[in-house]
Amino acid sequence: MADKNKMKVPQGSEGFFFEEAYIHRKVTEALQDLFNSWGYLPVETPVFDLFDAYRSLIPDGEADKVYRLIDRDGDLLMLRSDITLFLARQMGLILSEKDLPSRLCYSDSILRHQDSEDISHNEFFQSGIELIGKSGYRGDMEVLLLLSQTLLLLDIPSTVHLGSHALFNSVFSSFSDSQKKKILKLTSLREFGEIIKMCSAALGGSDAAIAAELFSFIGTGEELKEMTAGLEKKSAAVYNSASGELKYLNEVMEALKKAGCGDNFRIDLSEAGSQAYHSGIVFQVYMNGMDTAVISGGRYDNLLSNFGIDAPSVGFSLLQRKIEPGIGRKQRFSLPSGMIEMDEDEEIIESFLKAEKIRNEGKTVIL
Amino acid sequence: MTQPLLFALPKGRLMEQSKDLFQSMGIDFSFDNRKLVAADSSGNFRFFLVKNSDLPTYVNHGIAGIGVCGSDVIYESGHDFYKLHTFSYGGTKMCLAGLKGAHNFGNDAALKIATKFTSFTRDYYHKKNKPVQVIKLNGSVELGPVLGLAPYIVDLVETGNTLRANNLEVIRELADIKVHLIVNPAYYKLNYKRINKLVDEIKEGEKSWTPGSQI
Repeated sequence: MADKNKMKVPQGSEGFFFEEAYIHRKVTEALQDLFNSWGYLPVETPVFDLFDAYRSLIPDGEADKVYRLIDRDGDLLMLRSDITLFLARQMGLILSEKDLPSRLCYSDSILRHQDSEDISHNEFFQSGIELIGKSGYRGDMEVLLLLSQTLLLLDIPSTVHLGSHALFNSVFSSFSDSQKKKILKLTSLREFGEIIKMCSAALGGSDAAIAAELFSFIGTGEELKEMTAGLEKKSAAVYNSASGELKYLNEVMEALKKAGCGDNFRIDLSEAGSQAYHSGIVFQVYMNGMDTAVISGGRYDNLLSNFGIDAPSVGFSLLQRKIEPGIGRKQRFSLPSGMIEMDEDEEIIESFLKAEKIRNEGKTVIL
Repeated sequence: MTQPLLFALPKGRLMEQSKDLFQSMGIDFSFDNRKLVAADSSGNFRFFLVKNSDLPTYVNHGIAGIGVCGSDVIYESGHDFYKLHTFSYGGTKMCLAGLKGAHNFGNDAALKIATKFTSFTRDYYHKKNKPVQVIKLNGSVELGPVLGLAPYIVDLVETGNTLRANNLEVIRELADIKVHLIVNPAYYKLNYKRINKLVDEIKEGEKSWTPGSQI
C-alpha cells in the first residue's frame, strides 16, 4: 500500500501540468497583453502579509478560510487569500496623490481553504485590474468596457449582472450599519419576504414591500426604464431615494449599448455588493455551466483609505482557473501542432544546428 | 433549442408528492426501471433522483440548478440557495425529545444530545448561550435515550408515533421545518425568466392541486 502521506493533498491547493499548464500560461499572457494595451501595468503582491492589517475587512465566514501562520517575532501572518485586499495595502504603501490615476493589473495564485465539497470551485488563481484614483462615470465606464473586451477575448457565453451598492445605501439610509449588513445578506439571497418583515416598521409596510420589489429587479436597460417609471407611481418615498442611482445605471446601460456590448449586460439590483468596502457599481459575471460567478468587480472608493491613501477605486477580478475549461476557440491557446523530432541516431550537434534553423521558422523541435 | 431546466428531486415521499403536483400542472415524467434520470414529455425539464441529504450538494455545484429540499437538510449542508417557494406539503417539526418524565435540565452541565442534525442542534443551543454536547447518529436516533447513549435527541417529529413506541416524548418544539424550491444562485441568474415563470406556475398549481389526485 502506498504511503498515506504521499497520497494526501491539502485543501486549497492544486497542481496542473503540461498542456493544461501551457494553456493557462497562454491565457494569462493574453489577458495581461489586453490589460497592458489599455495602459494597465503589472503588479506582484506578496504571498503573505500581516493578518491584523486585513482583519476588519475580511467578511464574516471568510476569515476561517484564510491560512494563518506565526512568524519568528510572534506576528500573525496570513497567506494571500484575495488579491484585491493585498493590492490595496501595497498601493497604500507606495502610491501618493501625484501618482493618480494609476492603472494596474495582476495574475497570481491565491491560497485559501476550500471544503472538500467545494473543491471543484477552482478558486486558486485570480487575474484582474484596478483603476485607482478615478471616480464616477468615466472610471466606471472604462472598467466596464475593459470587462466587455475581456469577455470578448475569452469568448465565453456569459452575462454581466450589474447592480449598485450606492442604490442600496440610498434606499436603506435610515438603517444602522449592522441592520444594513443583514438586509444586504437578505438581498443577495433574494429573501424579499424577510426584508419586508425587517423594514416594515421603519419604512411602513407598503414602502418596505416596494423597496423589496425594487431589489428583486433583473432586466435589460429598456426594462429598467419601464420599472423606474412604474416605481415613481407606486411610492414617492422609495422613488426619491432611488431615482438618482437608477438614472445613473440607465446612463451606464445606454453607453454600453452605444459601444455595442449592451446585450451582454443585465441590470440586477440584487447585486448590491457582498463586501463591506463596496461603494458604487457592483457586478458579477455568470457563465453557462458554472456554479458561481466567475468574475466579480465594482467600485470601492473607501477601501484604500484603510491603508493610508484616500483614492477612489474600481476594478474586477476573474477566477481564471474556473473559466479556462469554458474558453471559446481554445486552439488559440493550445500547444502548437506538428512538433518535429530529430533523428535519435544523428550526432547531437548536427541535430542541434539543424533544429535551430527549423526553430527560426517558428516551429517546435525536439532534439 | 432551449436547454431543459435541471431539477433534483429527493428520493421518497417528497419526490412522490412533488411528482403528483407537477403532473397536476402538466409536467409529466417518471423514473423507469430504477433509472435516476428522467425527462418530462415536453423536454423542458430534466429530473435527477438523488438522496435527500445529497441534494444540496448537487444544486450547490450547479449539476442540478433547481431542487426540492427541506429546510433541515439545507441548514445542515451549510450552503446558501435562493428559496423561491415554500411548498404546502412535507412540513414537519424539529423537536427535542427524551424519555418520558425523565428530563431534568441541570443549570450548568452541557446538554448531551444525540442527533442527525448536528449543525442545527449546536447552533440552536449556542444562540441560547447553552453549551451542548452533540453525538452524531445517522439513523434510529430514538435508540439514543433508550440505550443510554444520550438522555436527549433532536429529530424531526411528524406524528410522534415512533417516539411513543419507544417511551419517548417531545420536550420542546425547536423549529418548523418547511420544504422549499431551492435554486443555485448562478443558475438562477442565467435562467431567471424561465425559473420565475415556473415559480409562478407552481404557486398557481398548488392552489388547485388535490394531493394524491395524480397517483
